[in-house]
Amino acid sequence: MQPLGYSTGALALSDFRRALEMLKDQPVAAIELSAIRKHELIPLLRSLDGLDLSRFEYVSIHAPSEFSPQEERWIFQELYESRHRGWPIIVHPDTLHDFSVWETLGDLLCIENMDKRKPVGRTVQELNGLFEVFPRASFCFDIGHARQVDTSMVEAYRMLKAYGQRLRQVHVSEVSTQNKHATLSFVSILDYQEVANLIPQTVPVIIESIVSEDQVGPEINRVRKALAVT
Amino acid sequence: MGQHSYPTLQLSQRIGRQWSNIEATRTLSNQKLAELEEALIDLDSEDTSIVVLGSLGRREFTSDSDIDWNLLVDGIADPNHHALFLKIQKNMKPLAVKPLGREGTFGTFVSSHDLIHKIGGEEDTNANLTRRLLLLLESTPVGRPTAHERVIKNILKRYLFEDRSFWRGSGQGHHIPHFLLNDFARLWRTLAVDFAYKLRARSGEGWALRNIKLRMSRKLLYVAGLLGCFFIQFVFDPDVHHAVLGEETFRPDILEIVHGAFSETPLDIVANFLLNHKHLYGTASELFEAYDQFLGILLSSDLRNHFDKLSEGDGDSDSLYQEARKMSHRFRDALLDLFVDTEELGPLTRLYGVF
Repeated sequence: MQPLGYSTGALALSDFRRALEMLKDQPVAAIELSAIRKHELIPLLRSLDGLDLSRFEYVSIHAPSEFSPQEERWIFQELYESRHRGWPIIVHPDTLHDFSVWETLGDLLCIENMDKRKPVGRTVQELNGLFEVFPRASFCFDIGHARQVDTSMVEAYRMLKAYGQRLRQVHVSEVSTQNKHATLSFVSILDYQEVANLIPQTVPVIIESIVSEDQVGPEINRVRKALAVT
Repeated sequence: MGQHSYPTLQLSQRIGRQWSNIEATRTLSNQKLAELEEALIDLDSEDTSIVVLGSLGRREFTSDSDIDWNLLVDGIADPNHHALFLKIQKNMKPLAVKPLGREGTFGTFVSSHDLIHKIGGEEDTNANLTRRLLLLLESTPVGRPTAHERVIKNILKRYLFEDRSFWRGSGQGHHIPHFLLNDFARLWRTLAVDFAYKLRARSGEGWALRNIKLRMSRKLLYVAGLLGCFFIQFVFDPDVHHAVLGEETFRPDILEIVHGAFSETPLDIVANFLLNHKHLYGTASELFEAYDQFLGILLSSDLRNHFDKLSEGDGDSDSLYQEARKMSHRFRDALLDLFVDTEELGPLTRLYGVF
């Protein structure tokens, strides 16, 4: 079975305990612990030992999506100290300032392709430069971002062809033109199906769609349909 | 390849000719595009592209050319797009020597929705057809190219992915995008019919210049469209050609290849083909020299004014017009050599360009 699950941030913003509670009866085997806002990082990391994550085959941490060069050192250090857990750390490439420190995370550094607002990481061409700087880094393929950048899905196809070997996890949601992570629609499902065969059945899928509790299950079903998750 | 090199220049160097008017219009085009980049700075976005077409899009700009442009919108509808449009119009005005054409095909909002969805059928108007295919054949974005590229890929996706015979191949082993090719033929015939329409609607005004353009630059669009459609036949080794085109997982790669072919100017599409066929350099010379002469007419304000005022009734006795007519015949004959008499294109032209 392909591990599938949610980002805690999509379900309950900074309340990761609430998100885990929302998932307790759902057929999920993967979780991304979100610290996408920098103030969420310390509370999350300090709580890890007390969380029961035993049901999850796959766990990752999403690093903050915005911080200054001055804040980078402590944010990196906190994340670096979690490396013994072996969980990938998902980063937005535009946030990184001092590349040399992040490179020390090796393949736990998981670079996500970006939405169209960002100045880097949106296309294969832009990712090429990043993976030259971070040759050991893994890849978080955000299919919603790729579709937003190029609705023909050619860029998504090119990313999976170019970086399929590095693929560590997939982010899925429908990213609107206003950059909101929404539930999948009929059209986005059709679009995602066009490249789903390029995603290995072993790669974990993390849902980022913002959903209410009653929509957690239906969105899982939509994602299964879109990506042919078994 | 050097920064200023382009296929037509490479071809001229390869066969030892100089096409100074082509080079001059290329230089003028690049200068005008740079001016536009500056004038329209910060007016671009990820959801909109300012697109220039016509002679500037083809890199055949002269000091007397107008600037055909559209604001291409590929995103949420926003009432403030109107303010953006007005701002572009205002900033564009000092850079244009004359107003846009009367048909309203240019200088307007264009929604990607119409371009992508309304291919064929009652709703595919003359303007929609023209905007869509000129976007493929002679458009250049000013500023961020994201929306422009996305819309072109989606238009090509419709033409290619919905064309079963393209992927399956013909009995002769050809993979020709019929859907796209037929629309290029439709555009060419539409331009030719509209020539007659404008002749009547404008009581002959501007007849000679439009006639020369129809025989040269308008025809070149069809030539580039045909070559773009035939191009895929020459990309892969014959041993793997059918296998690659028949494999569904390679379709986005093929779309990228076709997109790449159409990202060149029409002249460069022709030059790219000829660069790879050394035995056709004689034809290349005829074809490009005639086109160079055509651009020489457009570069000369005197000749342009002369043709602009020449009436249809005076055409037969006007030596300059007769000379221009001969030039157009030279261009036509070179095209016939290329498309009918060569073993590369002859069979494709007969099978897909005629019947």
